[in-house]
Amino acid sequence: MSNSLLTPEICAQIDKWIAKYPVDQKQSAVMGALTIAQDANGGWLTQQWMDEVADYLEMPKIAVYEVATFYSMYEHKPVGKHKICVCTNISCLLRGSEEIVEHLEKRLGIKMGETTPDNKFTLKEVECLAACCGAPMFQIGKDYHENLTPEKVDDILNRLE
Amino acid sequence: MSNNVVDYLQRLTLSELFKGMGVTGRYLFEPKITVQYPEEKTPLSHRFRGHHALRRYPNGEERCIACKLCEAVCPALAITIEAEPRADGSRRTTRYDVDMYKCIFCGFCEEACPVDAIVETSKFEYHGEIRGDLVMTKEKLLAIGDELEASIAANRALDAPYR
Amino acid sequence: MITIEIDGKSCQAESGQMLIDVADAAGIDIPRFCYHKKLSVAASCRMCLVDVEKAPKPLPACATPVMNGMVVRTRSDKARAAQKAVMEFLLINHPLDCPICDQGGECELQDIAVGYGSDVARFQELKRIVPDKNLGSLISTEMTRCIHCTRCVRFSAEIAGVREMGATGRGENMRIGTYIENTIDSELSGNMVDVCPVGALTSKPFRFTARAWELQQRDSVSPHDAVGANLHFHVRRNQVMRAVPKENEAVNEVWLADRDRYSYLALQADDRLTAPMIKKDGVWQTVEWETALKFAVKSLHDVSCQHTSAQLGALASSTSTLEELYLLQKLMRGMNCQNIDHRVRQADFSDQDVAPLFPYLGQSLSDLEQLDTALIIGSNLRKEQPLINQRLRKATLADRGLISEHVKANMMAINPADYDFNYPLKAKITDPSLIKALASVAKALGADIQAESCENGQLIAETLKNGQNKTLLIGQFVQNHQQASVLKSLISTIGKLSGSKIGYLAESGNAAGAHLMGVLPHRGVSGKAIENKGLNAQQMLTEGLKGYLLLGLEPELDSRFGATALETLKKAQCVVSLTAFKTPAMLEYATVLLPIALFPETSGTYINGEGRWQAFNGAVSPAGEARPAWKVLRVLANLLQVDGFEYASTDDIRSEIGSFHLETPIADNSQCNPLPNTFEIPTSNELQRITEMPIYAVDAMIRRAGALQKTTDAQKSTGIVLNAQQFAHLQGHDKIDVSQNGQTFELTFRLEETVPQNCALMFGGQMLGNWDGFLTVGES
Repeated sequence: MSNSLLTPEICAQIDKWIAKYPVDQKQSAVMGALTIAQDANGGWLTQQWMDEVADYLEMPKIAVYEVATFYSMYEHKPVGKHKICVCTNISCLLRGSEEIVEHLEKRLGIKMGETTPDNKFTLKEVECLAACCGAPMFQIGKDYHENLTPEKVDDILNRLE
Repeated sequence: MSNNVVDYLQRLTLSELFKGMGVTGRYLFEPKITVQYPEEKTPLSHRFRGHHALRRYPNGEERCIACKLCEAVCPALAITIEAEPRADGSRRTTRYDVDMYKCIFCGFCEEACPVDAIVETSKFEYHGEIRGDLVMTKEKLLAIGDELEASIAANRALDAPYR
Repeated sequence: MITIEIDGKSCQAESGQMLIDVADAAGIDIPRFCYHKKLSVAASCRMCLVDVEKAPKPLPACATPVMNGMVVRTRSDKARAAQKAVMEFLLINHPLDCPICDQGGECELQDIAVGYGSDVARFQELKRIVPDKNLGSLISTEMTRCIHCTRCVRFSAEIAGVREMGATGRGENMRIGTYIENTIDSELSGNMVDVCPVGALTSKPFRFTARAWELQQRDSVSPHDAVGANLHFHVRRNQVMRAVPKENEAVNEVWLADRDRYSYLALQADDRLTAPMIKKDGVWQTVEWETALKFAVKSLHDVSCQHTSAQLGALASSTSTLEELYLLQKLMRGMNCQNIDHRVRQADFSDQDVAPLFPYLGQSLSDLEQLDTALIIGSNLRKEQPLINQRLRKATLADRGLISEHVKANMMAINPADYDFNYPLKAKITDPSLIKALASVAKALGADIQAESCENGQLIAETLKNGQNKTLLIGQFVQNHQQASVLKSLISTIGKLSGSKIGYLAESGNAAGAHLMGVLPHRGVSGKAIENKGLNAQQMLTEGLKGYLLLGLEPELDSRFGATALETLKKAQCVVSLTAFKTPAMLEYATVLLPIALFPETSGTYINGEGRWQAFNGAVSPAGEARPAWKVLRVLANLLQVDGFEYASTDDIRSEIGSFHLETPIADNSQCNPLPNTFEIPTSNELQRITEMPIYAVDAMIRRAGALQKTTDAQKSTGIVLNAQQFAHLQGHDKIDVSQNGQTFELTFRLEETVPQNCALMFGGQMLGNWDGFLTVGES
């Protein structure tokens, strides 16, 4: 195996996940491992990364593809620096997520699922992120932003720029 | 007794003859209904079931997709189909024979066809000169379809409201 | 046992059984798509929802274990409403392309939609479209039709043992496939076509050629491996259109190896011989049967008059039927000639007098599933005997689920190369000679021999000793080894010392029949010893005789002697070949070609590895002027004035064979030569050649099945395979020169870790030198 993408540092991080599960169930660490791989690759996964995770966890490659394509937090195309995940499920919808989406699209000049030409922002529609009490909401990076209004959105984006 | 007298008078005056000539004379001026076939032809229903044809789509692509439902439904076992994938991967017949010697013109084939490919046209004048002439091959059926497409389409349009 | 009530009918069931199984046993029909009795339960289609009393919602019958006193209604309003709703959802994205779908007419979705579907669709939006995938030469896809039952995914993971298929994406975007462009390379892949309930996966060679309703079903038995899989030929207008498995739990369960499924393609091969041919004054001409038979008889007669009948020899393919083989040996022995053999790949005949009666599996096929310990010796089992391997996989893995696999049996292997097994091996030894490894195991078990110890030898010995239900399985490498008799003695010793059964993996579906019918130079029917032994296959094919009678055999490809066999045959005065195909090589050496029927075209009997007699009838009539070989042999015998050939049918022949009482044959597989004390292992500083008969070259039919020849397995069995580390410097070259015994071939090559150092793996079924020995390679 030449030029492995999984450097010793990455392997060490994955090993922490593996240690959380019984010895014969290495594959339980697949989601953690994919997240580490995605972060290491600048926010998205390539087939080579998934293959190497599969080999490292000794599981069939197709099983890794299944996981990586099922969950919305794994990306298969390059994304911008900031990934804005807007919830459009029922609670947020009732509290005006449509307006937030419209505002975001207008401000960034892109549609849902697209990335700005300067590779700064990616807009993504996601399912419920379990923050209904603060609807409407979105997630940028690892942070939740709740009770959004167009003004608040502008404020958040300005701070990111 | 009187009957004999009446009979005698009738015979003497040739009244039966004149009656008959009267009928003849009346029809001499009635409109004529005898059709002078083959110079003249009777009108046909748009549902007339004559000779078969295979149709094409306006872009020239043959309609038949080799589903073989006509072959399955044919009560006279007159249809024989063989099929294989064409170069572009689509499902097409390589052989489509209608044996006109067997066909009973029931029209089940066109009823069964999901794509209106096999149809029975208004054509009923055809003949064969040697044995096997009336086993219609795919090429012959497509040629008939091309020739009669205008009338086939018109007939279908006429029947459409009842379907 | 508990009692439950289904639709008012009281049913007995085992506790823990699934509801659908109980209903099936009681003949109560519950619609289903994802449930398959040989696969794990997915409960993903929800079509089998039934109304269970006291349950708030309808429950899936395939995933609901029965409980005592359960009251189930499969046709109540609640159940019907649920089933109809599921049906409506399934049809939302299913295209209405039944007229161009190969599954049309035999489609589970179509059938169930008639009963449960509504006549008007309420779904107005656009249907989902899924791009097709190229899964190789055997399966074609139409993925838009897929209903996500995941049967193919579970089949590939659980039965085929290679996780090639998966469900990627989620919700509406879920796709069944390989995710990346990848062919399905399993040797059992054709079964995916059978398990698919809709037309998403269909057979590529069969594509668009026929509809289910125009096919007639005829039973047959496949001769390509020791299993003798039962199958149905589907026939239209006297042409075999496809083969599908015939369910037989004891033999092939519900599966078929691809080899059995697609061999019918050879019936239409381009080089099929359809009329008799004779070579007169060096020119081939097509003639009438009468002329050809007279010519053949005269040629054979000339040999026996000018020389002696001992200058004649008969060689048969072990895929011939029992009746054909019986007649062949009867004819030859009637002419007072004992040169009869079918063991064309065997190299060591020194123990033939004590060898077992026939290559007996030592147990029944279904017994294999009960094993807790097995040692596979000299076999690329997955490719050699796909369905036997499937049984062993079943024995090995308790839970063949998608994710976790629990090992319950100890499988071990001693092989010349590190072959791939689709279940975990407890221990393996890779030893090109096999002798060293077997001797070390025997020694570890306490045999009185001189042997070096081998890594894992001790472990294998101990595992065998500790096993309860254990067997040693002898593959083709052992049977065709140059020192096979020594290997068999070692195996017999290991068997005795460890108390293991010994099983032979027969090379074909009637190798047992060929042995029992006495198609051997040293034994007659039922193994009766012959006093003045004839020549064996090796002697016949290398030393040379004046006249040959070949039955369904292409010695230049089927035998281990390749080019040597061809040269020998060319020198013969006459070669009468009963063959279904004509090859350029055959036209060079033969004098008469008599066209014979292939197994789908004739009636006969095969005896599989477990000694099971399986009779079958012809599915179609023979191609052109071809005739069943038993008829040809009968007429030849009549013309040669050999007595006792007044048969009217194969039944007559079989009833004559019946007088030998071989219905349930059993062989003592421990019979062997006495064990030597020391072993000679040939060494050289050249590369040791290992030859494998590849999966898609085992007999004349398989070699002509076009679709099989395009598979990855077939493509990979060409050229030469070398050790990756040792020959890393060859990387970048296209071809290399391979020299063996002064002959040089230019071959393509692959580098793999599986081939041990100082070895070269080559493939049989080609004319490339002798099967063993040493060779050198160099850049070309």
